[in-house]
Amino acid sequence: MNWCRVQGGCLAVALLAGAVAVSTLAAGTVAAAELAEVMARGELIWAADQEGGGPHVFLDPENPRQLTGFEVELAELLAAELGVKARFQQGQWDRLPLLLGRTADCVINGIELTPGRQRDYRCSRPYFAYSLQLLARRDSPLTAFERLESGGPHGRWRVGVLTGSAAEIFMRGRAGLEVEVIGYDGTVDCLEQVTAGVLDATVLDDCIASFYADRFPQLRAVDRPQAGGFYTVLTSPDTPRLSARIDEALGRLLSDGRLKQLYDSWDLAGRQQILLLRDADEIPPALRDSWAHLLRSALPLLLSAAGMTVLLSAASFPLAILIGLAVAIGRLYGPPLLRPLLAGYVEVLRGTPLLLQLYALFFLLPKIGLALPALAAAIIGLALNYSAYESEIYRAGLKAVPGGQFEAALALGMTKWQALRHVMVPQAVRIVMPPVTSDFIALFKDTSVCSAITVIELTKRYSVLALSTGRIVELAVVTAVLYLAMSWPMALVSRWFERRLERTGAARQP
Amino acid sequence: MITVESVAAFRAGVRVLEDVSLSVPAGTVTTLVGPSGSGKSTLLRCLNGLETLAAGSVEIAGHRLTPGPQPPRRLELLRRDVGMVFQQFNLFPHLSVLDNVALPPRVIRKTPAAAARALAQTLLERVGLAHLADVRPTALSGGQQQRVAIARSLAMEPRVMLFDEPTSALDPAMSGEVLEVILGLARAGQTMVVVTHDHSFARRVATQVAELVAGRVVRQGTAADLL
Repeated sequence: MNWCRVQGGCLAVALLAGAVAVSTLAAGTVAAAELAEVMARGELIWAADQEGGGPHVFLDPENPRQLTGFEVELAELLAAELGVKARFQQGQWDRLPLLLGRTADCVINGIELTPGRQRDYRCSRPYFAYSLQLLARRDSPLTAFERLESGGPHGRWRVGVLTGSAAEIFMRGRAGLEVEVIGYDGTVDCLEQVTAGVLDATVLDDCIASFYADRFPQLRAVDRPQAGGFYTVLTSPDTPRLSARIDEALGRLLSDGRLKQLYDSWDLAGRQQILLLRDADEIPPALRDSWAHLLRSALPLLLSAAGMTVLLSAASFPLAILIGLAVAIGRLYGPPLLRPLLAGYVEVLRGTPLLLQLYALFFLLPKIGLALPALAAAIIGLALNYSAYESEIYRAGLKAVPGGQFEAALALGMTKWQALRHVMVPQAVRIVMPPVTSDFIALFKDTSVCSAITVIELTKRYSVLALSTGRIVELAVVTAVLYLAMSWPMALVSRWFERRLERTGAARQP
Repeated sequence: MITVESVAAFRAGVRVLEDVSLSVPAGTVTTLVGPSGSGKSTLLRCLNGLETLAAGSVEIAGHRLTPGPQPPRRLELLRRDVGMVFQQFNLFPHLSVLDNVALPPRVIRKTPAAAARALAQTLLERVGLAHLADVRPTALSGGQQQRVAIARSLAMEPRVMLFDEPTSALDPAMSGEVLEVILGLARAGQTMVVVTHDHSFARRVATQVAELVAGRVVRQGTAADLL
């Protein structure tokens, strides 16, 4: 059997499969479920993020299996108006619109009405009016919103917001503020970090601020509510009839008092809401940005985020290698009592998700008085997690060096450590260069997990940009190209090292 | 120079040496011969502590070995005075030939790099390989690699040299060049213990021959007597 031809055949099949997959994706998503299908199904599937927190959609603390929140009830009311049942679909808040037309018919989760969303989706008439409220600790020097225009006691004010929310757009868009805006995936995390002193303040929708006021008594509202807007129900652009029916339903709920009843039961100032909603202005549809304009505005942001990705990888991987090598040497050559401890270290770090380890470093440590900056936590987290994998690779590498090498070094009169340093480790490192480079490329992409602890790297930047501009596919291509451009040199370096390995050669039996 | 008294040793749980006694005067060459599995290599490795003694004692170049694990420091000091050349050469492939030979004095004696390299160059000339100083070991023939291994051991100026079947992995032509080097060392008065199957070589180089069978010394005498 001609091995070259078999390999060539396999490559051709893989490329063909890849082409089919890509063209399927490009052909568009599954057709959205229009009104008739929803009726036939008997269910309106509505999407929200149960981790987003109260009062919108959250798990009942008294009964953690039960979903509760004013939007849960609103969804039920809307579904009943359509003559169907409501079914909940979970998704991550800043990615909910992506579920439209695939696993959800609509999104009801404090989605703020913005020109961008109006352009890319169908937005229902407003169903809730919100304002943005600045919150800070009671003892904070931040006593008015204007104080944000000059620096705080430690330089710029550190203000937390929900990623992708109107609060984030508002805070980043306001000129003249001396603030560092940090995005979080969850409200409670954000509020806890203000309480812990890691953040100076947060800007949240006012209904959220009042919902959590009792749980965080150390925080208070600063100044009057700023800005404001409306929540809307999002539906896919491909389902005009469903959207129209939802609009009609909202109109009925508004006029016959059921919406006011709902808001009163949740202590959400029902009468004020109704008055604001009835008087809400029409928001004109926005124009779609040109491709060139998109690139000009998106590319600098993507490039700087790519820089963060490179920084995270370049800082954490050498650390991972050093720790991993030390652990491997300790397990093979160290004192017997140390070995089970090191084995335990490896199993714990390998056996738990990187995300959990990052959470522990960033969110749990402040509770025992050790607050790490997000970047430090990210680098340390990545380094520790990958050190476990590297230690196993180096352990295998050291064992792969022929035993005679160690003996020869000892027979010359070297100490164990001299033998390791001058004979064993140099050879082991060469042997394991291919899997180590592979791991670096893996870590490089794992940096995207760091967005969970507020570090904006390339994937997160893409995600936020894609959803705010609606150019999901185009920006994905640009982002993928950036990733390849960064990881391809690593592949070249890996091959260069492999060629060097062949030239110098590991010790071979004659 | 070497006194072995009633040594016993195990290897992988099997008793391979039993009540072995041997004496090697300074400046002489002793060869150990015997069938495979007779314990010749084990005895040799007992002399520099690569095998642990189960009983008896070894006195070598002023160092003493006793039964059981020895303190690492004692072994390190002993091995600086006792060099060993292996059947598999065991050159360090990531270093050039010159750096292989210069490594021991540089790392162990803390000799400055330039002086260590000069010493290495001299030793390579002595074994006839000065022209291959900057080559990697994997590019050398077996015979050349073994000669480099000898030069590397000599870099520590050992008082005793141990050879564990130095030519068993080589064809006759390459064996010849290695044996010439060993003969040269013998003529220069180096105390040596050589494990070998090569009886003709033993006859040429050995002052005394010890024959082992099943872990015991069964015969001892001059090469003329035994071979």
